[in-house]
This record gives sequence, C-alpha cells and structure tokens, in this order.
Amino acid sequence: MRRKAVEIINFTKKFGDFTAVEDLNLDIYENEIFGLLGPNGSGKTTTLLTIATVYKPTSGDIYVYGHSVTREDYEVRKLVGIAFQEPKAMWIDKAIDLLTWHARIVGYPREEAKRVVREVMELLGLWEHRNKYFYQLSGGTRKKVELAKVLIQKPRIAILDEPTAQVDVLSKHALWDVIKKLRSEGTTVIIATNDMFEAERVCERIAIIYRGKLRALGTISELKDSVPKGDIIEIQVQEELRDREALRELEVFGRVSVNSDMITIYSDKAEEKVVDVIDALRKRGLQVKRIMVKEPSLDDVFTYLTGAKLRE
Amino acid sequence: MSRLKTILLVATWDLMKLRNQKVFVAMRLAWFTVQVLVFARAISYIVTRTVENYTGGVEYYYFYILGVYTTLLYSTSIARGYMVAEEFDDGIVEYHLSLPVKRSTLAIGRVLGGGVSTLIFTLPMMIIVYTVLRVRDPVIVAISLASALVFSAGVVSLVILLVFTIKSTDLTDIIVGAIDALLVRLSTVFYPLPVIASTGIAPYYVAATLNPISHMSDFLRILVFPEYYLVAPYGPLASILYLVGFSMGLLLLAIEFYEKKLETGGWR
Ligand SMILES: Nc1ncnc2c1ncn2[C@@H]1O[C@H](COP(=O)(O)OP(=O)(O)OP(=O)(O)O)[C@@H](O)[C@H]1O
Ligand SMILES: [Mg+2]
Repeated sequence: MRRKAVEIINFTKKFGDFTAVEDLNLDIYENEIFGLLGPNGSGKTTTLLTIATVYKPTSGDIYVYGHSVTREDYEVRKLVGIAFQEPKAMWIDKAIDLLTWHARIVGYPREEAKRVVREVMELLGLWEHRNKYFYQLSGGTRKKVELAKVLIQKPRIAILDEPTAQVDVLSKHALWDVIKKLRSEGTTVIIATNDMFEAERVCERIAIIYRGKLRALGTISELKDSVPKGDIIEIQVQEELRDREALRELEVFGRVSVNSDMITIYSDKAEEKVVDVIDALRKRGLQVKRIMVKEPSLDDVFTYLTGAKLRE
Repeated sequence: MSRLKTILLVATWDLMKLRNQKVFVAMRLAWFTVQVLVFARAISYIVTRTVENYTGGVEYYYFYILGVYTTLLYSTSIARGYMVAEEFDDGIVEYHLSLPVKRSTLAIGRVLGGGVSTLIFTLPMMIIVYTVLRVRDPVIVAISLASALVFSAGVVSLVILLVFTIKSTDLTDIIVGAIDALLVRLSTVFYPLPVIASTGIAPYYVAATLNPISHMSDFLRILVFPEYYLVAPYGPLASILYLVGFSMGLLLLAIEFYEKKLETGGWR
C-alpha cells in the first residue's frame, strides 16, 4: 500500500448559499503526480486552496500526512507549497525581490536564498527579467515566477494550479520536465488543469470533477477503459458522405457520426472491424483517403461521464 | 527558524515595498516641509500670545508642529495598513496565508512591518520638526521613536481589522476616510485640551481625552517641553500606558482574527 499524502474526506465548501465543492472524497498518494481535471468553475482551485489552508472547509476535513487542515493548519503549511492560478504580486514588485523574500520566509539563510533563487530563475529563463516590475512582465512569465516559488521551496507536496496556462508550447514542455523532475526528487505533485494534453502528459492519476463533484478517478488507462465501446475509427473519404444507405450500413459497427468528409465510428474491437468497414465503403463507391483507429482521449472520457464538453 | 526571526522576515515584506515608493515619500516630505515652515508659522502668528496660558507657556508654533507630525504619523499608519486592502484585491493575502508561518506570527509581522515602515517613512519629518525645536537629546529622540512605533502599530492593526471585516475596498475607503477625518478633529493635535474644555462641549472634550491621537501628540509635547505638563490633564506615564494598551489590544484582536476567522473568500 502506498502512503497517503493527502486524504480528502467528505469535503464540502460553500460560499454563502453556493456550493463550490460537494462531498468530495479523495486520496492522493505519496510521490505521485495527481491531476485535478475539470472545466472552469468546477471547484479545482477551491479544493487546492483548502489543502493549502487558505480556505477552511465548510464541512468535512482534509488531512495532509495525517494533519488536519482545520486543526493543525500550521503543520500542514510546513508540508505544502502552492503556485497559484493567478500570479500573486503587486504591480510595483520585482520578481527577484518577491522570490528572495519567499526563499527567506520558507527557511533559507540569506546567502543560500540568493543562490537558490538565481538557480531557479535561470532554470525557468527568468533571470533576464529579474529587475523588471511585475506589470512589465508578460502573462506567461508571471506564471513562471509563480511556479518558481514552489521550485525554490521544494515542499513535500507541491500544489500547482494550472501551471502552464498562458505559457507558450515550447515552455510548456520544459515546465512539464521540471515538474517531473520535482517529483523524482521526492515531491508529491498535485496539478489542477483543464488541459487534456497536459493531464495525459504529466499526470499518473486523475480525478475528474465537474460542478463541484467527483465524477471519475483513476489512472489514464483506467479512465479510458471506463468508456464502453471505447475505440474510435476515424475515416476520411474523398467527398462528403451523402448516401443515407451507406450510413445505415456502417451503423452495424457502432454509433456513427459524420462531419463533412470525416466519418467517426464509436466501436469496440476496432482492429477487427476496420477491414469490413473499408469493404462496406468501397461497395458504395466511396474512396477512402485515410483511416485511423484511436483510443478515446480524455476529452471523450469526459464527454461520456458528464455529457458535457470539457471546454464548455 | 525562531519565531522572532520569522516575525522580522514577515515585516520586511512592507519594507520591500517602501523601497519602490521613493517618489511618494519625497512628495510627502516636500509638502510637510512647506507646512511646517510656512503654514504653521502663519497660523502661529495669528494665535500667538493668548494661547500660551493653555500650553503652559509653550509657543503655539511648537505645539502645532508636533501636532502636524502626529497627524502625519497617523495618516501614514493608515496608508500602510490600507496597503493590506490593496493586497487583498491582488490576492497577496492568499499567498501569505499559504506560507509555512503561524497565523499569529503573520499578524504580528504585518503589524510590525506597517509600524516600522511608517516610522521610516516619517523619519525625515521628525528630523525636520526636532531640528526646528532644537531637540538634541538622543534619549528624547529614542523615546519619541519608540512611542511613535507603538502608536503606529495600533493604527495599522485597526485598519487591518477594518479591511478584513468589511472585505470591500470601496467601503473600507469610505469608512477609513470618515474615521480619519473624525479622529483627527476630535483630538488635541491642533487645539490644546484646555481650549477644548473651554468650548463647554462635553462630548468633544471626552472624545479628545480618549483619543489615542491626543495622547500621542501630548506625549511628545511633554517629552520635548516638560512645562506643557502643567496644563496637560494627563501625565506622560498615563499617555504612554494608554497608547500601549490601545496598540496591544488591537494587535491581540488582529492576531485573534488571523488565527480564527481570516479567510479570503467573499471579497468584493
Ligand atoms: N471566493 C469565492 N466566493 C464566491 N464564490 C467563489 C469563490 N471562489 C470560487 N467561487 C465559485 O466556486 C466555483 C468553483 O470555483 P473554482 O475557482 O474552484 O473553480 P476552478 O475549477 O478552479 O475553475 P477555473 O478552471 O476557472 O480555475 C465557481 O463557481 C466560483 O464562481
Ligand atoms: Mg481555478
């Protein structure tokens, strides 16, 4: 049994009458990269801020290595570091001042602080921006400053709220490597994201939350397997499919949807059926340009579980 | 890390901001100098002799500029405390709440930071006033600074409590503005207490004697001009005890608030 780093028990958070998170139960294990996946407003940030003891639970509790966020908040904070979704700084702050102050407050002696700040800033490509005021930094750079705080702190549990939002594609890949390295050095990482690709790329286990409730939990492949008729056959044909008869014929293989020259068939055991599908199309005189068998993406899992699109 | 060290580190948060506000400090200083050297003189020409019965023989000009310094100390403390409200808007409070620091340490550190940065901010003003008054005794200067810090810490605590309770920058603006105007007027910064007494308006008199701003300015006056003690209704010891009580009380409330209630949700 892996050790539990975070245990969320019947956690509910209300803001006035509005319930942001409802009766959430979740375990996060030591040294995994755990993803909290959900569309805007689903309660990811609310959950993360409660783990970090910034918010208090309305009911239920969260334990961090056995310490309750409601009763032993200081013990919890000694174990947790967070990079916020919205970078936290006033416009007159300079990145280097912020990060040096941060290094000192999380416990580095003065010289050590200077060294680690420079090291992390160089790693994230922030060093050249060190003396700019915060308002002069681009959105992506501000996010990197936010992430730098956690990298400096090297907490037992790192909470990253949409760490690569606003970050360019190239930097994204670099940041994912940095996050994986953080984990390999012993940190448990909890990431909130609404980016499927990011979740697939870095997270080992994922909780899908939607409207404040947990909808699914598991490894990526477990989640994908939970979709029945889990394979997808995508066929691009020469010209748009207008032949209703052909369509009906294809429906024996599974649910079919057509989008101009793209035909998508949701099916199981797709590998075995591909040949029959091509045959059926040929008989109707439809020329196949391209055919592809796919696993469902997390997007498909999400659509299946909630009946909603992730980017709604 | 020791508790004290953490408190001091938290306090440097406010000092860090001060560095980037040099222009603001310079402007305030210029205005203050004009007030002390021009307007204060003008006013004291109008009121000169007659008032000296009420000030124990202290020239009104001297009485007045110590009052001006106190109002500045007060308004700067409010401004430093008020920065916490701006930070709230920018989510800095959430950041601070997430740090591996005890909430009480955070509260004390912020109040201390507000107090010390107020002191630094107003130091040039104190130098001007004490130069005009020819104060040279380092003990008097040290006691003045210490009492100013105590007073400022109380005001900063008060503003922080207000900001967090009201949870709205707009409303805080109005309330702090109202308190600001009222407290300064209902005090002895510009009018000696015997003068206020002779107006015969009891609430005005009572408010002025209970007002920490009165105690702050009168404490400085007695410190610099012991003869002022003759007309002051309370002695320096009473004043300083009152100020310490005021500040400690509010600081404890602020700590209690940070520990028990402070949460960042529901900000408008
Ligand atoms: N401080 C607050 N006061 C009132 N309502 C809030 C507060 N914070 C969050 N909410 C509400 O709670 C719900 C969940 O918000 P939360 O920020 O946790 O979502 P999220 O999953 O992080 O979304 P996003 O992807 O946009 O960051 C939203 O409907 C939001 O409006
Ligand atoms: Mg969020």
